[in-house]
Amino acid sequence: MENLFRDAICLGIVSRAFRNLSRRKIRALLVVIALGFSMAIMIAVPAGIAANQSATQNLTGNLSNTLTQTEATINQTLTQIDCGLASSAPSGFGFSGNFTPGQFGGGGRGDFNFTPGQFGGGSGIPGEFGGGALGGGGSTPMNESLYTDINSSISGVVAVAPILTVSEGHNVTVTFGDRSFTRLVADYIIEGVPLNSSIIDNYPILPANITAGRNLQAGESGVVILSENNSAYFGVGVGDRVTILGQSFEVVGIHGTSGASDRATLYMSLSDAQALTGNTGEITSLEVFADTTDDVTAVSSAISALHAELDVVTAQERLSQLQQQQTNYDAQLANAQATLNQTQSQAFEEIIVAVAATSLIVLFVMLYTVRERTKEIGTLKAIGFSNRTVMSQFMLEGILLSLLAGVVGVAIGSIAAPFLSSVLLPTVGNSLGAGFRFTGGLASTTAVTVNPELMLIGFGVSVMLGALGSVYPAWRASKTRPAEAMRYE
Amino acid sequence: MSELALKIVGVSKVYQLGKRNVNALANLNLDVKKGEFAAIMGPSGSGKTTLLNVIGCIDKPTSGKVLIDDIDTAGLPESELYKIRRNKIGFVFQNFNLLPYLNARENVELPMEMTTKSKNERTARANGLLATVGLAGREEHRPQRLSQGEQQRVAIARALANDPAIILADEPTGNLDMKNKQDIVKLLANLNLKQGTTIILVTHDGQVAAHTERILFLNDGKITKEKEGMHLAKKNICPYCKAKLQPADEKCPNCGKTVRFRKKAQVRLFP
Ligand SMILES: Nc1ncnc2c1ncn2[C@@H]1O[C@H](COP(=O)(O)OP(=O)(O)OP(=O)(O)O)[C@@H](O)[C@H]1O
Ligand SMILES: [Mg+2]
Repeated sequence: MENLFRDAICLGIVSRAFRNLSRRKIRALLVVIALGFSMAIMIAVPAGIAANQSATQNLTGNLSNTLTQTEATINQTLTQIDCGLASSAPSGFGFSGNFTPGQFGGGGRGDFNFTPGQFGGGSGIPGEFGGGALGGGGSTPMNESLYTDINSSISGVVAVAPILTVSEGHNVTVTFGDRSFTRLVADYIIEGVPLNSSIIDNYPILPANITAGRNLQAGESGVVILSENNSAYFGVGVGDRVTILGQSFEVVGIHGTSGASDRATLYMSLSDAQALTGNTGEITSLEVFADTTDDVTAVSSAISALHAELDVVTAQERLSQLQQQQTNYDAQLANAQATLNQTQSQAFEEIIVAVAATSLIVLFVMLYTVRERTKEIGTLKAIGFSNRTVMSQFMLEGILLSLLAGVVGVAIGSIAAPFLSSVLLPTVGNSLGAGFRFTGGLASTTAVTVNPELMLIGFGVSVMLGALGSVYPAWRASKTRPAEAMRYE
Repeated sequence: MSELALKIVGVSKVYQLGKRNVNALANLNLDVKKGEFAAIMGPSGSGKTTLLNVIGCIDKPTSGKVLIDDIDTAGLPESELYKIRRNKIGFVFQNFNLLPYLNARENVELPMEMTTKSKNERTARANGLLATVGLAGREEHRPQRLSQGEQQRVAIARALANDPAIILADEPTGNLDMKNKQDIVKLLANLNLKQGTTIILVTHDGQVAAHTERILFLNDGKITKEKEGMHLAKKNICPYCKAKLQPADEKCPNCGKTVRFRKKAQVRLFP
């Protein structure tokens, strides 16, 4: 062993190994590239798995988070009944018009707008449900005092939240031939909500997703929370003051809800909103909360009986849609998990193939080299080289080859890991059901990265495989019978 | 220490070719003294190469003894044989068999690689040997930049590297033109005269054989005839000053230089 070591470090052997490689530059180059790719696969595949794993974890985490939120929202809104003047109510509440990632709110149809997933461990992660962002309700003002009887005379009502919603915008005139239309384009929507702790602490009438600053608090006045769009529109952020309709407010928070109408909605106290818009004592909708879900039907018919002019909408349709969504998410989770399992077994096979390919490439190249140099080996043995020295010589050449390939492999692997693993592995993102893709804020991408540890392991493995593949050819070389080798031309 | 560089006793080599046995060497006996310059001639297939391979320990005899410097190599394992090849034998091949990617000096250094000589000693000796074979200044040249004759000189220098007991040359001039052939033969003869190198060469060429002191004829694996060569006469002339020598002289009485192994070879004829 000690001698083997001495042989191996003997300069003669090392320099001859180098020269032999450089003597066949093209071959060495091709082999190094081929080996490099196998090694790159060995590096990229585990990196891809790691990315997929963390993507699945994210997905699982986010989905279950979302489900919890969904459940909370369902429970909170099950008892909610939306009342507004029938003549002007848009469509009550329900699902957001455009299922833009993440948010239920606003009025309109549930319109699923998914596109296929993206690689990179990219997984569609559903966003949040804006708890309080139940849009809808009428926009025609009505006198708040006319409806105090809803709370007092209908049994099963636990809370009534009067809301004032006013759109502020500018008129745009559109001309078609000889006719022209004037249309209000909303710049922002003011929503006044009663800041009573009995209501805002218990019922979802304020936005749930505060991305900066804080939410509104009970009894506050002179403060607003803006949507991200508002913040951009006014050019202000948390802590700044903003002038709305000539009056100054302090911005205490930004909400990230992105439902179609909520994107433009800023929230303030009901009394501030009434004063600001000149609607003292007026509201545009009432959010009525029933004691239990069983009461909802009775309460809503009682409201209709008491005030025929009101358009009354319950959360029933919404509930069924949320439940539908829950089923969807469950399926996605199962899907992602299945993909991950499949990924792991596929990765295992690919790594085995890459490992086998690497050793086989080294094996065949070295066998060819040994065969090609039979006469040289015979000569070396005839002039007194030991079997061990000959063996060391060829082992060293094989190892050197795989060392070079290891460098190339690590280079290719770290540069092309995302590409390679996308080619080689199914991805969690892709698997989220045919045709499903979450875009925008929902897509969470876990990048495929190769860390130094993985590089080092890949490099070590490549050298080991090179040694492994060289053992047999080198042994064959050492057993060459010089007398026969000399006859071989 | 005997005065024999090589003693072969009853050596046979049988190759199995299918069901047929080929007796490449058949109960062959041969003594070669230290300092002898011998040629082996014979028709193709007569066993010349086989004999050299057996002497050079790259082929094992089927039976018999092969003593090199009094060591019986016939029974040695490979782990010992390579040392004999390295230290006691110098091979010269018809096709030179130089490593094409090493220069002249590196080729000559090869046999010294696994010896106790330091890198500097090896380089110095290689340069010295290259000078001896007339290639001073060509040390850095690779084989493809050397003529055939020059390549064979490098091969001879390589064979001398570990100061072997015997140089074995299988048709060393077989691939050379007339001029190079003569140069190589003269080189070998000079090595023998001046340094006392023991040389056994195989040749088909009567002219080449004539330059040796002892010509052995091989037929069907046996030595059937032996003749004196012209080289023997030179052994009574000082190679340095051409003065006449007496067989017992250790030194030239004229120039005082050491003249080794000039005793007349004992000619033994085989029945
Ligand atoms: N490895 C082998 N297997 C079988 N037969 C062999 C082998 N090597 C040599 N022989 C046979 O042994 C005999 C002697 O061969 P060898 O090579 O020694 O002849 P040679 O005198 O060197 O001939 P040449 O002048 O053609 O080189 C031949 O008949 C040859 O066919
Ligand atoms: Mg021959």
